[in-house]
Amino acid sequence: MSTASTAIPARAASPGGSAVSFGGILRSEAIKLFSLRSTIWCLAIIFVVPIGLAFLLAGTVGDTVGIPQDAQQSIWVQSATLGIGFSQLVVAVLGVLVITGEYSTGMIRSTLVAVPRRIPALLAKALVIGAVTFLVALASILAAAFLPLGLLASSGVQPDLGDPAAWWAFLGGAGYLALLSTLALAIGTIVRNSAGGIAAVLGLLLVLPTVLQILVAITGAEWARNVGTFLPDSAGGRMFAYVTEAQAAPAGVLVLEPWQGLLVLSAWVTALLLLAALLLKRRDA
Amino acid sequence: MIEVRGLSKHYGATAAVDDITFDVRPGRVTGFLGPNGAGKSTTMRLIVGLDAASAGTATVNGRPYAEHRAPLREVGVLLDAKAVHTGRSATNHLRALAATHGIRRSRVDEVIALTGLETVASKRVGGFSLGMGQRLGIAAALLGDPATLILDEPVNGLDPEGVIWVRTLARHLAAEGRTVFLSSHLMSEMAQTADHIIVLGRGRVIADAPVGDILAMSTGTIVRVRTPDADRLAGLLAGPDVVVTRTDADRLDVTGRTAPQIGELAAGAAVVLHELTPASGSLEDAYLALTADEVQYHAGGTTGSPASPEGTPS
Repeated sequence: MSTASTAIPARAASPGGSAVSFGGILRSEAIKLFSLRSTIWCLAIIFVVPIGLAFLLAGTVGDTVGIPQDAQQSIWVQSATLGIGFSQLVVAVLGVLVITGEYSTGMIRSTLVAVPRRIPALLAKALVIGAVTFLVALASILAAAFLPLGLLASSGVQPDLGDPAAWWAFLGGAGYLALLSTLALAIGTIVRNSAGGIAAVLGLLLVLPTVLQILVAITGAEWARNVGTFLPDSAGGRMFAYVTEAQAAPAGVLVLEPWQGLLVLSAWVTALLLLAALLLKRRDA
Repeated sequence: MIEVRGLSKHYGATAAVDDITFDVRPGRVTGFLGPNGAGKSTTMRLIVGLDAASAGTATVNGRPYAEHRAPLREVGVLLDAKAVHTGRSATNHLRALAATHGIRRSRVDEVIALTGLETVASKRVGGFSLGMGQRLGIAAALLGDPATLILDEPVNGLDPEGVIWVRTLARHLAAEGRTVFLSSHLMSEMAQTADHIIVLGRGRVIADAPVGDILAMSTGTIVRVRTPDADRLAGLLAGPDVVVTRTDADRLDVTGRTAPQIGELAAGAAVVLHELTPASGSLEDAYLALTADEVQYHAGGTTGSPASPEGTPS
């Protein structure tokens, strides 16, 4: 019972810092993200592959001299955003691994001891992976749009570079991948297992839409088609679709505007992140 | 200062930690001793909020761990040497932890030097030996220069030099006035490191006392006597506070009399002694005696307790 008299002596050297801050947690998550080789590889693939695919498409367009400007614009935007279909798979894996890599190695315990309130750590992870994915994807899409311009011109495609619809598609593509990375993070947090998390995200992106398509093909069910419209990949795909006023949706089929696609995907991300946060807070680590 | 009050953790019907209450005070090393599966790690995880308690509270320096503004500055934790991403270097691991609290970069280098990890700091942790992993875990615990340290099995996997290093470090940190709480299932380790010991068995506190008291709690101080005249000596020694245990035809274990007393008694009665050895009850003995009923899985029918007298208690 001699505690009161046992003074804690002044510390020799302060390690600096006063408290946990959200800025600090963001910095911590950024350090974590960039200090793993797997991250660097994923980001490199997300950057390089769309550029390569754009060149591939630009080189195989064939002679299109004389086609309308609208079609030229469409070819340009499509070649720049073609790689997103591939990048989304890598983004999904990266987003899952950001958290499941911590569970499989035990790092999560260090993370949660440093940030015992837990939710800020998840939020910081989402912001960091989302922002980094957005920037890398945007750089990749822009490079994919502008580097092959010469090749496109030789095929007779001379796009209007100031076309706002094209720029919205480029931004939308990067935004889609950014939101997808946070969706994958949320699913990884819920599942806590790399293989399971990746399977779940890819199932949501690839398998579920295919199942619905088969259902539509067999039964012609309208509801299945419309459910498919609201899945993350379809809704997100609208974010980088090249939309001009000239295009009109066929009657009876639900087609989301790009901003509606953004809203739907954001709703997916928000709902899954909320569930992930709830589980992270409640579960033993 | 760690205060644990009525803390319980249930997994379904089994209680890993069952209504335990204890204090861990600053300025000394408190050992947390118990067989594997006794609930030591679970208790430590409950203290830092990694697991949620089923009942009861645990506070560190007056507050639940998670409610501190700068948890790493209050408490340094080594729960598991493997709480590190294997693909990251030691330096980056520590940098990431330091960043959450705005702890300066030079402190990272300090703890790396302090734990002797300079040569491997830039290597990926996946290639670390268990001992290096332990050192990294201790480096992480020291990062915030905390007033309280919670170290779960810190000497696990360390070579003899590392064991001495941890022992010295723990004593040094306690001497600085910090609260040092370290667990081990090695009783001999505790005897050399701890000032105070809390023994846990099957999720319950079965002893909470200074090291000396824990030692005394064994069968007291035993004196081993070897004499060809064992029967006669046993008769001479008999007394209300003396226990004589016949361990062999010519061997007696005596408690309640010191070696000089026995020697003088024997000389007075002309009993020849071949051996007269005071054998202080080891912490090991004390621990086995304390946990004999608490170990969940007995290894066969061996009893480690030397307390059963079969000689001639008066």
